[in-house]
Amino acid sequence: MVIWGNYFDYMDNVMFELKDVYFSYLGKFPALCGINIRINQGQKISIIGANGTGKSTFLQILDGLIFADKGVLSFCGQQLNEKIFNAVKFSQEFRRKVGFIFQNPDVQLFCPTVKEDIVFGPLQLGFAKDQIQRRLEKLVTTLNIKELLDRSVQQLSIGEKRKIAIASTLIIDPQVLILDEPTAGLDPLTTRQIIDLLIEENNSGKTIITATHDLHIVEEISDIVYVFGVDKKIVKFGQADNILNDTALLTANNLVHIHSHKHKDKVHIHPHVHLDHHVDEH
Amino acid sequence: MKSNNFIERSIVGVLEFLKDAIFAEEYALKKGFLQSLDPRVKIISFLLFIVQALLTKSIAVLFFLYAICLFLVLISRIGLGFFLKRTWIFIPLFSLFIVIPAIFSPGEALLTWHVLGAKLMITRQGLDGAAIFIMRVVTCESLVVLLSLTTKHFALLKVLRIFKIPDIFIMTLGMCYRYIYLFVGLIQNTYLAIKSRVGLGVQYQRGQNIVAWNIASLWNRSLRLNEQVYQAMLSRGYQGEVSVWNDFKIRARDRLWLFGVIILIIWIM
Repeated sequence: MVIWGNYFDYMDNVMFELKDVYFSYLGKFPALCGINIRINQGQKISIIGANGTGKSTFLQILDGLIFADKGVLSFCGQQLNEKIFNAVKFSQEFRRKVGFIFQNPDVQLFCPTVKEDIVFGPLQLGFAKDQIQRRLEKLVTTLNIKELLDRSVQQLSIGEKRKIAIASTLIIDPQVLILDEPTAGLDPLTTRQIIDLLIEENNSGKTIITATHDLHIVEEISDIVYVFGVDKKIVKFGQADNILNDTALLTANNLVHIHSHKHKDKVHIHPHVHLDHHVDEH
Repeated sequence: MKSNNFIERSIVGVLEFLKDAIFAEEYALKKGFLQSLDPRVKIISFLLFIVQALLTKSIAVLFFLYAICLFLVLISRIGLGFFLKRTWIFIPLFSLFIVIPAIFSPGEALLTWHVLGAKLMITRQGLDGAAIFIMRVVTCESLVVLLSLTTKHFALLKVLRIFKIPDIFIMTLGMCYRYIYLFVGLIQNTYLAIKSRVGLGVQYQRGQNIVAWNIASLWNRSLRLNEQVYQAMLSRGYQGEVSVWNDFKIRARDRLWLFGVIILIIWIM
């Protein structure tokens, strides 16, 4: 087990701090049980875990969309609760600082055209029109999405939708980017583009918090990896290479599995990372 | 078996209609004359044309307006065959049927014959009235179709702002438009999933149960999506009052076009 102090001693600028956070749906289906996490400015954090371990719930709590039943969540030293989000000033300030990219782009992209979707956030947050225009132009160049601007969202591929969902959050220029399964269902090239973009944003000082079970991207987008277990608790956390090399841990938490397959005439039996990129493990 | 075919035909029909609507937006994205105009100016000019078509009693004026409409079709890079097919299929033919009694109205006889002792007479006034009615329907319908083909659907919705429709209403309509496609896809996939598991030979009562369960399932999904979309809106700063992006620009070309339309309308009045 990793010692908490090892990580916390050298970290000063705390963005999020969760102390003993519990959450359950309808009061009877537990989703998070006693979560303790501290996330510092500029860090890259990954949350990994099998389906149903509470990763998405955790991210929604961080973004102030749902609130813990028990425990304390603070953002920049300010305790977050439902009441504080009723204050327009705080709410706007928080939304300017924290951006959330949903797992399902069809949820995030609710406007009829791509351009309307991208500018929705800054418009609601009261950004000046020329500032929105400048940021839009920059994003269009960075993500190469000029051709998509006037199109309807339903005409886009999943990769394009994901890019637009990211653009719709990046245009706000938040200090913290929260991403729920950002590479799910994407082809390798689009996955690479998104990972490069996240690394670039982190280099510019943004805090990146990603929930994923695509272990191939974890090392690049993580300073610290948290493993969520089926008991809705943190099983272990630590540096990416330590976690990813702990085969017993990953196997016990349904993140790798043992299987056998053939290479020419030889049969291999070895642990195998879940999801898309089977060839990487060979 | 028949009822299943009916459901299949209905689903396919609705999907085809919606796909056609998406396809039609392809014309709005083309670089033609009407597509280059500001949607507000375009709507005002088309309203002027339509009002003129409704008020005029001259068939020559109606022919002239229809000719302008077809000319606009050509310079807006819309296939003439596609446009005529789209505008002549239903409403004008329907108008033709309902106008038949009018050609027998009293007036100068052009053709007379006797059927079972009754005298039937087609009159010049009756024919003129019927022709004007059909031309009016065709012209107005063609103008409306041309407007919707050359304007992006959401731009049409946004133009409602010039009639003082609140932004939240426009936003809600836009979201409805956006999610109709998503739910149509869900319905299609659900139907295919049922077909792949139970085939088409379902008993009437069992079929009713399946349909009822699917309506309930769709309702549940839409509720869940509703919650998630609301969260996505909150996450990007929505606080109950919505702001809509306005990037309409009136340029010299728009002013010139509107001026030209007004002069034309005054000239033919």
